[in-house]
Amino acid sequence: MTEEFSKRRRRLLGTLAGAGLVGIAGCSGGDDTTGTETDGTPGVTDTPTEGADTSGSAEFSEFRGSGALAEGRSEIGGTRISELPALSGELTVYLGGGEGGLYRDLLTKLENIYPDFTATPRPYGTSEGANTIITEGSSTPADVFWSVDAGSLAAVAAEGLTSTLPDEVTDPVPEQFHPDGDWVGTAGRARAIPYNTEALDESDVPDDVMSLPDSDVAGQMGWAPTYGAFQAFVTAMRITEGEEATRQWLQSMVDAGVTEYDNEFFVSNAVADGELQAGFANHYYALRVQEARPEAPIDLAFTSGDAGALINVAGAAVLEPSPQQELAQNFVRHLLSAEAQEFFATRAYAYPMIPGVPPVGGLPPIDELEPPEFDLARLSEIGPTVDLMREVGVL
Amino acid sequence: MGAVGDAPGNLGSRLRELLGRLLGLDDDGVSTPLVLLSAAVAAAVLSPLLWLLLRASEVPLDEALSLLRGSTEVFANSLVLVGVVTAASVALGVPLAVLTVQTDLPFRRFWTVAVALPLVVPSYIGAFAYVSAFGPDGALADALAPLGVSIPNVYGLGGTALVLTLFVYPYVFLTTRAALLSFDETQLEAARTLNVGYLAAFRRVILPQILPAVTAGALLVALYALSDFGTPSIMQYDVFTRMIYVELNSFGDGRANATLLSLQLLTVTAVVVALESRIGDDADAGYGAPAASTAMISLGRLRWLAVLFPAVVSLFTLALPVGILTMWFVRAEALAYEVGGRAFELGFALNSVYAAALAAAATMVIALPVAYYSGRSNAPLARLTERATYLGYAMPGVVLALALVFFSSNQLAAFFGPTVSRAVYQSLPLLVFAYVVRFLPQAVGATRSSVLGVDPALIGAARVLGAQPKAVFRRVTLPLIAPGVLAGAALVFLTTMKELDTTLILHPTGFTTLVTYIWRVQEGGYYGRAALPALVLVVLSGLSMIPLLVQRRDT
Repeated sequence: MTEEFSKRRRRLLGTLAGAGLVGIAGCSGGDDTTGTETDGTPGVTDTPTEGADTSGSAEFSEFRGSGALAEGRSEIGGTRISELPALSGELTVYLGGGEGGLYRDLLTKLENIYPDFTATPRPYGTSEGANTIITEGSSTPADVFWSVDAGSLAAVAAEGLTSTLPDEVTDPVPEQFHPDGDWVGTAGRARAIPYNTEALDESDVPDDVMSLPDSDVAGQMGWAPTYGAFQAFVTAMRITEGEEATRQWLQSMVDAGVTEYDNEFFVSNAVADGELQAGFANHYYALRVQEARPEAPIDLAFTSGDAGALINVAGAAVLEPSPQQELAQNFVRHLLSAEAQEFFATRAYAYPMIPGVPPVGGLPPIDELEPPEFDLARLSEIGPTVDLMREVGVL
Repeated sequence: MGAVGDAPGNLGSRLRELLGRLLGLDDDGVSTPLVLLSAAVAAAVLSPLLWLLLRASEVPLDEALSLLRGSTEVFANSLVLVGVVTAASVALGVPLAVLTVQTDLPFRRFWTVAVALPLVVPSYIGAFAYVSAFGPDGALADALAPLGVSIPNVYGLGGTALVLTLFVYPYVFLTTRAALLSFDETQLEAARTLNVGYLAAFRRVILPQILPAVTAGALLVALYALSDFGTPSIMQYDVFTRMIYVELNSFGDGRANATLLSLQLLTVTAVVVALESRIGDDADAGYGAPAASTAMISLGRLRWLAVLFPAVVSLFTLALPVGILTMWFVRAEALAYEVGGRAFELGFALNSVYAAALAAAATMVIALPVAYYSGRSNAPLARLTERATYLGYAMPGVVLALALVFFSSNQLAAFFGPTVSRAVYQSLPLLVFAYVVRFLPQAVGATRSSVLGVDPALIGAARVLGAQPKAVFRRVTLPLIAPGVLAGAALVFLTTMKELDTTLILHPTGFTTLVTYIWRVQEGGYYGRAALPALVLVVLSGLSMIPLLVQRRDT
């Protein structure tokens, strides 16, 4: 009966949504269980929309990861997939990156919900994907470009190859993550300072990244200068604070005795082991450590309004030459659904882009962070950053 | 009036004569169809250059000049790297070839395979393994730290040159080995009877004869080192290809800048290839030349000491990366990461083998006219077509792939409509064509040296006995050059197996290969998941070395 109900409901929603709804088929795909979506997630109150608490299409819990961090999730808001128009048709999705296959998993889940929907992914590196689309120009076979790096999306947009996303797609996301509506952020990764909770209190970590070298912590910190995300952080600092200030910052950190690691997972791991008191890393590495070792004494601090609090995003753009604008836009709406956002949050430990879905690990939601005023497209200006780091001898 | 009438005829015949000399039409076995075919092959593999020229011409002159001026330092870095890697590869490859061919080294066959095998390890896996072992916080550094042993920094020129050398020196080893196998032992005996020691004999008798083969291998090494991006970027040495990638990654004008820099890279390649042709001029030995019975040099008790050499090399080229991969694998099992996406499937390996086999077969066929033409004739056009095939080999993979994207997607759609472009773009034949462009010189080189090894007298004899040129080619030449052709195909097969950049951009949708899978999980940071497919890749590629090494055992 759940299925019957949802079929009716889907029809109703479809009518309301109006244009773009090709068919109502595909209500029961992937639904071989009868429980409600709140299964296994005690305390979840559902979306404000009346009657949307059950879905005939997919269990909410199917989107949720299974680890320790995915347990005890608080209230999940946002738009449910059952409230969105059904997907029907074929889309070619160019992936820039894709979290080692997680994005493919989500595509498969959507295909299971909608039997008439096929999403064909093509994997690229972020810049290869963007360069490929730009080279293809108006004959690109891609309908959607979904990339883990904002700079690559901005590059495609700069060539006039993206179409403007309607407000109904972008509205749920804070404005800085959909500049001009050319693309919209789907998941974020925040720069953070993982610290060892046995060695430090959160208050020991300065609120201002520029004052870090002068603090007592500096000499007990670790970083991974060869890692792309770290270089993006230095790029942001270079652009917001200027070249000279950044050179000094790097030099002071080196003088203070910062320790070098290969990547930021190792940095976070060393923090958890007490080898370091604190480090520079993307927020999700500390969460990965927690996932593997729930008792590890590691927590995250965030600086405010500066490069140390940069949030880079993965995002999606609908390509202008695509003949399937409405389907593609609806697909992007699905990436911003409560289910998809929960998927990114609990499986990749990414920062959800809609305030209704909180990040895992007790971190503040996206609209409470204080990232710097910064055009993410400029993160691609990495050449001068590398030169600067070489000059100081960090690289 | 008669004189006036004669002039055009005279001019015509002189033109024809000139043309004949340029094309080498008078040389034995060279026919007009062969010349046309070779020229067509050269033109086809050079066609991606058109895109480079188009894009590069978008760069304003003053910007172009400042870009080129700004690149001098990294350019010098690149040349230093190429010099060091090439010299080191010769220093490793030639003695190893002598040891395994001419001496009574214990377990010679085993060592022959072992020291050739590093060629199958992709440099991006080799470099990762080295950083993982020797890098700061690496496995070995951790293990040795309590003993008070610290490991020198792997990053920079030293590490980059070391890793590149360890995984590409087999090019020199293989070409030198082939030349040594076809070396006439009686010459060495003659030298001996004249009371010349082995070292002096090597320098005065053997070296001049194997020199073309050594330089042919060194050329492949040099061009590989020049165009490789993975190793220098992982080992953090600032080279020219990194500049190209930084430009490509910075978008905007970056693409045009990247193509301009690629053209500069290709100019250097052209110079290197032209220089090499002076040394490699009369290569009469090569991969497939018939082998004489091996001349043995007895090492006496030293032979057990000599074993240390290939053993140490194998330790660093094979044992270490395989050990690190295994460690990753075990760690991944222990951590049991929740990894998304399809798990590893055997089908990926089949796809890899399928694409590589197609590429090897296509390259083998396409290389044949060029190799035969340039092996039979010394005419300028013959040299030119053969040398031209090297340019694709030195083109960075991403740049080549984007050039083909431009032609097969953008341009085909503009001129022939979207249906045509959809049929060609992202199709397997296009991917195979890209492989041909990249790896043709390996097959041309191997095939050409075996063509040079065919005694013209044999062909003459067949002709005298009344056989048509086609029949002579089929019944006499082809069987004689078959080993060289096969060796070339095997080289192409295994370089295709590990090719990443072009595959990633041009693969048919849904066609996952071993390398694209390895790339996908590594990109997600799940190194452990890359271990199993990487081991499968190394083992499968290793099998393709067998025709390279076994074919001469029966002779």
